[in-house]
Amino acid sequence: MSEALKPVEHYRALIAAAGPSLPGAGQPWLDARRQAAAARFAEQGFPTRKTEEWRYSSIGQVLEQPFRYRDEAFEALTDSDIEDLLLVEQPAARLVFTNGRLVPHLSTTDGLDSAVSLISLRAAIEQGSEFVDQWLGKAIIDSDLETFEALNTALLNDGMCLHIPAGVSIEQPIEVLYLSVGLDEPNVMTPRNLIVLDRGASARLVEQYASTTDAAYFNNGLTEILLGEDAELEHDRLQDEAAQAYHMSVIHLAQAARSRYRGMVASLGGTWARTEYHTAFSAEEAGCELAGFYFAGDGQLTDIHLDVRHPVPRCNSEQKFKGILAGRGKAVLDGRIRVVQDAQQTEAHLSNDTLLLSRNAEVDTKPQLEIFADDVKCSHGTTVGQLDPMQLFYLRARGIQADTARKMLCLGFADEVLESCTVPAFIERVDQKLQHRLADVHIDTTTSG
Amino acid sequence: MLLSIKDLTVDVDGQPILKGLNLEVKAGEVHAIMGPNGSGKSTLAHVLSGREGYEVTGGEVKYEDQDLLDLEVEERARKGLFLAMQYPVELPGVNNTVFLREALNAIRAERGEPALSAVDFMKLMQEKLKIVEMKPDLLKRSVNAGFSGGEKKRNEILQMAVLEPKLAILDETDSGLDIDALRIVADGVNALRSPERGMILVTHYQRLLDYIEPDFVHVLANGKIIRSGDKSLALELEEKGYNWVLEEAVA
Repeated sequence: MSEALKPVEHYRALIAAAGPSLPGAGQPWLDARRQAAAARFAEQGFPTRKTEEWRYSSIGQVLEQPFRYRDEAFEALTDSDIEDLLLVEQPAARLVFTNGRLVPHLSTTDGLDSAVSLISLRAAIEQGSEFVDQWLGKAIIDSDLETFEALNTALLNDGMCLHIPAGVSIEQPIEVLYLSVGLDEPNVMTPRNLIVLDRGASARLVEQYASTTDAAYFNNGLTEILLGEDAELEHDRLQDEAAQAYHMSVIHLAQAARSRYRGMVASLGGTWARTEYHTAFSAEEAGCELAGFYFAGDGQLTDIHLDVRHPVPRCNSEQKFKGILAGRGKAVLDGRIRVVQDAQQTEAHLSNDTLLLSRNAEVDTKPQLEIFADDVKCSHGTTVGQLDPMQLFYLRARGIQADTARKMLCLGFADEVLESCTVPAFIERVDQKLQHRLADVHIDTTTSG
Repeated sequence: MLLSIKDLTVDVDGQPILKGLNLEVKAGEVHAIMGPNGSGKSTLAHVLSGREGYEVTGGEVKYEDQDLLDLEVEERARKGLFLAMQYPVELPGVNNTVFLREALNAIRAERGEPALSAVDFMKLMQEKLKIVEMKPDLLKRSVNAGFSGGEKKRNEILQMAVLEPKLAILDETDSGLDIDALRIVADGVNALRSPERGMILVTHYQRLLDYIEPDFVHVLANGKIIRSGDKSLALELEEKGYNWVLEEAVA
């Protein structure tokens, strides 16, 4: 039985069993990639806390779960079942995945410019699309895959495949929903997205991970984004997984000259959740703005890893992350910015502020600026604190109950970072979820004059 | 009697600051409390509002015949006590409109009035903004965040106009204001004078009283009110300085 196997062996068995039925099995170009990834996974094994990138994030509990790989969408849903979850009123297109697989009858691409290609990765593979072969893996700068990336690639199956040709702008957001539903046994899913914007193209993308199940499941996702010259992408992501869920999102972003990326992640759900952004500029005058909000309460670990690379001059990046921790909640923010010697006139700023509502909460914040150029503007700042007694007093002195006042301050703290999102319903949803979470939270307050 | 303070003694960090203060304020009256730095003026304002860090060691404070010191900060506000602060606090991310509406509805609930709808609230705001000559833009911003000194003080008076307190305490409202801002703030305060409302102006300088004419002036020194009079006392202080009353009090 796989439960008795070591974690690596357990997943190797899953990969071996699933292999023949994965989409495109038998196509040499794809078999080669999956096999190489499987080999890489087996060779590399799971990271331990001795690995610097995993120092504060134990994955022990992830590995203890006997996840299986059942490759099957949950089809028995109608539009009305997902209506309340959706964030974009009139999306340019909508893709809905359940348990890792596209559900065509909940998805629509009718409103899209005919030049734009948005299909499921699975459909692209089955159609023998050269696009996937051409671009898959191209956004990953270090071609050696990390363990979870290798696991995703070995089980490469379904996800979003978006290609916007040169000069095409999509005004309304594209909405993508990954729903975990009706899982009676712990399942692992491997969503894989490939997003390519050609020269001068622009789009907005809103992604959401949600669930209607209490089951433990594991979303091990990998997203590759390639922005051509002058391309622009706004990309908002809501991670609102089930309380018992495990979530891994790795995003690789490659930006050509003068391209712009604005990304936001709101990480609220799951018992163990990690988001990684790996970004790199390939030419000058590109900009990358990353922002995020996290909340973790009892039994939650939320982990954000940033690896922002400036290999060329005159690009700018800004990373602004804020979080609120309650109970025994735990967060990790590891922000690495690398500016090579030739990357003169780089501008890069990182900030991380965490509000602790409990003495038992913990945050490990680790900014790492590695700057080898001398003509740069770079900064980092981190704060960890409690609610400000003066702010609380001010609200109470206007008649607002202490409890309400604390919640207003928490929401205000979150809204300061959420406001860069251009989808109002996204901000409202995060505020709502946060209010809901705060309703059950005890807030430790210290007194001071 | 709106407010009655008897023999109030207050310690801060174990040091006595107020040492037997007496004061009575009736509805409709404006009292100015003047005094040198460190005399306990701001302590008085804060202890009335219920701020933490002030230990009442003796005496009593009655507000509309209730023991004020028994009430929580928010209960005092709901019962009509308002402190316009010397240093209004910045609340980044907390929208000014949301804040004002939350505060007003909390106070309306206490008065047994229904919560105002968003539309009615915005109508009310348009009217109140005029009192302090404030641009509606400031309502869309976070409370006091990035406001100039004058904007912060005007925002305090705006809150007072919206919340319609029975007793307003203005702590050094004139500090840090240029002459134009001072006039706007003072005009706002004057517009809010009413036979149903008492006011206490805490100020170091006489200049605020050129714009807001008090009914009574008290000199607070070394934790006690050492002299009371009408508005002419303020002018005398302006002319002769505080040393004159301090010396007389000792004599």
